[in-house]
Amino acid sequence: MNTTLKISNVTKIYPGCVANDNVSLEFNSGKIYALLGENGAGKSTLVKILSGVIIPDEGKIYLNENNLKLNSPLDAKKNDIGMVFQHFNLFETLSVFENLIIDSDEQRESLKEKIDTIMKKYNFSIDLDIPVLNLSAGQKQKVEIIRCLIRSPKVLIMDEPTSVLTEQETSELFSSLKKFSEEGILIIYITHKLKEVMQLCDEVAVMRRGKLVSVSEIENENIESLANKMVGQNLKTIKKKKAKTSSDQLIKITNLNFTSEDPFETNLMDINFSVNRGECLGIAGISGNGQSELFQVLSGEIISEKNSIKFNNNYIGDLNPQERREYLMAFSPEDRLEQAAIPQMKIFENVALNNFKSSNFFNNGLINENKIKEHSKKIISDFNVNTDNIDLKSQFLSGGNLQKLIIGRELITSPDLLICFNPTWGLDVGAINYIHETLIEINEQNKSIILISTDTDELLKLSDKISVIHKGKLSKIMNAEEVTSEKLGILMGGAN
Amino acid sequence: MIKIVKRDQPSRAIFFFTPVLAIFLTLVAGGLIFFILGFKPFEALKFFFIVPIADKYGFSELLLKATPLCLIAIGLSFCFKSNNWNIGAEGQLTFGAIVSGGVALLFYEQEGFYILPIVILAGAIGGMLYASIPAILKTYFNTNEILVSLMLVYVSKLILDYLVVGPWSNPEGFNFPETRQFSDSAKLPLLFEGLRIHAGIFLALAAVVISWFVFYKTYLGFQMKVSGFSLKTAKYAGYKGKKMIILVFLISGACAGLAGVGEITGPIGQLHREISPDYGFTAIIVAFLGRLNPVGIIFASLVVAITYLGAETAQIFMQIPKYTGQVFQGMILFFLLASDYLLFFKFKFIGSKK
Repeated sequence: MNTTLKISNVTKIYPGCVANDNVSLEFNSGKIYALLGENGAGKSTLVKILSGVIIPDEGKIYLNENNLKLNSPLDAKKNDIGMVFQHFNLFETLSVFENLIIDSDEQRESLKEKIDTIMKKYNFSIDLDIPVLNLSAGQKQKVEIIRCLIRSPKVLIMDEPTSVLTEQETSELFSSLKKFSEEGILIIYITHKLKEVMQLCDEVAVMRRGKLVSVSEIENENIESLANKMVGQNLKTIKKKKAKTSSDQLIKITNLNFTSEDPFETNLMDINFSVNRGECLGIAGISGNGQSELFQVLSGEIISEKNSIKFNNNYIGDLNPQERREYLMAFSPEDRLEQAAIPQMKIFENVALNNFKSSNFFNNGLINENKIKEHSKKIISDFNVNTDNIDLKSQFLSGGNLQKLIIGRELITSPDLLICFNPTWGLDVGAINYIHETLIEINEQNKSIILISTDTDELLKLSDKISVIHKGKLSKIMNAEEVTSEKLGILMGGAN
Repeated sequence: MIKIVKRDQPSRAIFFFTPVLAIFLTLVAGGLIFFILGFKPFEALKFFFIVPIADKYGFSELLLKATPLCLIAIGLSFCFKSNNWNIGAEGQLTFGAIVSGGVALLFYEQEGFYILPIVILAGAIGGMLYASIPAILKTYFNTNEILVSLMLVYVSKLILDYLVVGPWSNPEGFNFPETRQFSDSAKLPLLFEGLRIHAGIFLALAAVVISWFVFYKTYLGFQMKVSGFSLKTAKYAGYKGKKMIILVFLISGACAGLAGVGEITGPIGQLHREISPDYGFTAIIVAFLGRLNPVGIIFASLVVAITYLGAETAQIFMQIPKYTGQVFQGMILFFLLASDYLLFFKFKFIGSKK
């Protein structure tokens, strides 16, 4: 039987962010669909709506012409929509069998039979009696899949399923998914990995900033075209004036490695680069390829070997962020609301987060509120933050104004190097222009920037040199003039 | 129709109103429980909350119970404000009492103005030592401080048990599980003739003033606030996380240890098996009821102290088991957590149609 799943004009608004903006999509069984987009593009929100975890503000969902009311995950299950989340929802200490039957009210015996049939049919070999904690990530995922299959779903949604799988497990997963699809299960595959889309899927829908950007047959696409759709290509690529080339090296990274204990993080492998004074080094890449880890290693949130980072002729790899600031580095992290600033605190308190010794915010362990406030007022006027009340809680600032405050806070100490990560993410055009102008100005003052960004336009506009990060490795460093967005697209997809 | 809407921002007024609401709801629910048990609700509540503090003696008892609660809660708020979940204050109190009691016994039948300060200091150090265990395990071995600090409570109680029946038991004590009485020089002076309230209250008041200063005026207080909101931000700012974890645990342990000193060198005057009616656990409720604010904690400790006294009067006059006091403490916390919902959500009355 054919299955048709229709999403019609779905909108979901969070305070300050439109997660899904009037999204309409149609899926038919027999095909594997990719839902492609960067982190924060809105794909997770959309699938959470499909699985009943989130209720949309507007819009309807139809399964075979029936309007579904999905008010809870249970509703989705009842309507034959199965979902495998990126982070597994299994009870580690219970056995595989117990995990499989936990949300079912059928008889144990009949379930056992069903599970055996499914395992045989798809060649799954998992011992049902051992506790889940003894399974590999790939096996745990199979348990989740079997749990969905027990209910013979019409739709199976996979959310970033390969992020914790090995190559071998990934190819096993793909062949299973192809089998499911042949049997008439409609498969929606969420990912930001372009290669997988090309390998596995028949049709691809791309989302960006909450909006559906395109729907197309996979034959009409290639990795570069998808990469460009994902990160958004703006035709006007005004580059800044070429800075006077200086050969005065400011920072040099040598053989830097980072191995994470968290399987959801990316390991950094053998990072080498250097930045001269007055230069902007852009680091491009599809998000989730190690940008966040690279930022943390550069800022000192993750400490590395002393000799791996040389800044202004000092070895600083083992210093924490506060100590690095004293050497005239400044940092603007990606996450404005959970890291760079604390929304529940007042503006001037957020300014005090960048505690630079000579700014005298804290004397002998006491807060020097007057000094902080004086400083905050200067930031607000110098960086055009649209408020005159420094006692205001930062949550009342718009994203753009908050980012101006953060950049201002970092720059007012006149650092030699600013490291920023997606500085214009989620901002409106006006704020983006302001930030871009500010960054160009810094370079003109012979100060340097490392710009880690997933926005290709931004990188082409601001960088003097560009490198691409893919799976924790940097490509060779290229002069920005020689780079086109097509070339970046190929590198972001993992080609050499 | 009533709709529940998320607030744009937590309301400051509601922030201080919910503790009051929680107490009110506790009274209502308590009255209901008394009614079901066959008592007249208002009369029972009167026995519980008014009779015990109606005279001078009662008021002194109220302050006597509120003192350790306030002291411990102040210490705990250092931990709670900075995202460290020390729930083992009862153990830190017990160990502080053991160390200071041991020192007091060394000065058995001796006189001297220097004895009391040494005994008090020993208690603070004992509490700090005991609190340093979960802190060090957390910072260097990634253990969960909730579990470790809780389990250590029972360890300390067993140590105390062993000492008072074994090596430290009173040689002339007919094998009762208790030590000798401390000498007068090792005891906190009484404030009024005939009342049990003692100088320990000044320790609590000093803790209130100092903590207020630290929370709102110092760099340490600022770092604690930032860490409490977001550990990611604290890391980004470059705060030394491990150092702070150990420091707040030490402060918290010192306060609990001092509360232990207050008990044994105040009303008790010796070590025995039951030196604290779970002050260390109840203080967790006090800390949250007082909104981790030093002034709020003063009021909260008075309110919760009444439940201890009320339980005793109710047992004497109405033959209700004294464990009712714990029921009331539990209800306060329950209603506080429930009414905290109002911090983030509000009820909106709307017409019949959307």
